[in-house]
Amino acid sequence: MLKADFVPVAIDQAYQRRQKDAEGEFYRKIAGQGPRKNFNGTTQGFYIATPGGKLLLFNNNRDVPKVRRLMKAKLAEFARGGAKADPAATIDAGKPDPRWNPEPPQGGLIVRVRAKVLDGYEPSTNRWRRIYQTALSRDNLWISKREHAALARSEIPAALQKRIARFHLVDNTRGEPPMWRDREVRSVQMSLKNGRLTGRAKLATADGRRTYDAELLGFVESKDGKVTRFDIVALGKFRGEGPFTRGAPKGEFPLAVAFSLADGKDVADRVPPQGSRGWLPGYLRQ
Amino acid sequence: MKRRCYFWLPVVAAAAVFVSPSRGGELTDATFRKLHKQLRPGDEPWRTIPWKISLLNAQKTAAKEKKPIFIWAMDGHPLGCT
Repeated sequence: MLKADFVPVAIDQAYQRRQKDAEGEFYRKIAGQGPRKNFNGTTQGFYIATPGGKLLLFNNNRDVPKVRRLMKAKLAEFARGGAKADPAATIDAGKPDPRWNPEPPQGGLIVRVRAKVLDGYEPSTNRWRRIYQTALSRDNLWISKREHAALARSEIPAALQKRIARFHLVDNTRGEPPMWRDREVRSVQMSLKNGRLTGRAKLATADGRRTYDAELLGFVESKDGKVTRFDIVALGKFRGEGPFTRGAPKGEFPLAVAFSLADGKDVADRVPPQGSRGWLPGYLRQ
Repeated sequence: MKRRCYFWLPVVAAAAVFVSPSRGGELTDATFRKLHKQLRPGDEPWRTIPWKISLLNAQKTAAKEKKPIFIWAMDGHPLGCT
């Protein structure tokens, strides 16, 4: 139904509700007809709208039969006259708000990053908890053109090491994670020799309630000045959780993070890194 | 002699715990290969949906094909975070 009868779009609404451009206006037009119309706070949920921007449904339920039932009902409503009652022309994108429309660095690299908690959860029969407990997270690491060139020379710039540590050695398997602050990077050291990357990162909040001590091992290969392989794994003991990642295992637990070069075939390859939200220059400066 | 060995066992075990790295296990080449494979996404059904990541592109297609838009709007990108 979603494939055939709808046009499905996935967004991080933290962008669209702030965007000062045509896309932001269109999103706020739709969301503003629902219950979450304060755009200083979250507007997350499922929306069904006509191409003209008339809201047919807002829902934030994860119960599959219920969502399916609602989708069918709204599809029928749309067929009964939604499109005719709300004819729509294509919206001109105009000038996109640069802050909220970041593009991957030209000449740089996009690296897929995935994390998984390997052990430590209390057994649970709760369906939703089990999903979180076995979840594989995903994010993208962006590497600048200059850093790409450095990697091809078997160098790992300090800023790239710091970026990996602060924004990608995180437990984002249960939701939006707190990123590490600069001062919480106690040490990070990576070296690249003959295509083999080794390293270690120690991260800890001041109160010690959230920590990660990870070893890194991987392979970074290049040809004709271009990186052709960026396969890395970080493995270590993690402790703690954030406001939106509640339900972590108690005490220390093993967390693995894997990196691999994106091939551009997945639409998700163009999704900006979570840690760059609203401040790409700051993210890339790290 | 045997008794002396047993006497030292707890001491040796305690020392091993004290000096061993607490990083979740040794990261060897074999562990690297295993984890890198384990952390690849599978063929989950939701990944087969032809998601767009631009709302205006979705609007354009919806207007052309006369279909409603289904927006999955989350905190953190559904395709790129968690």
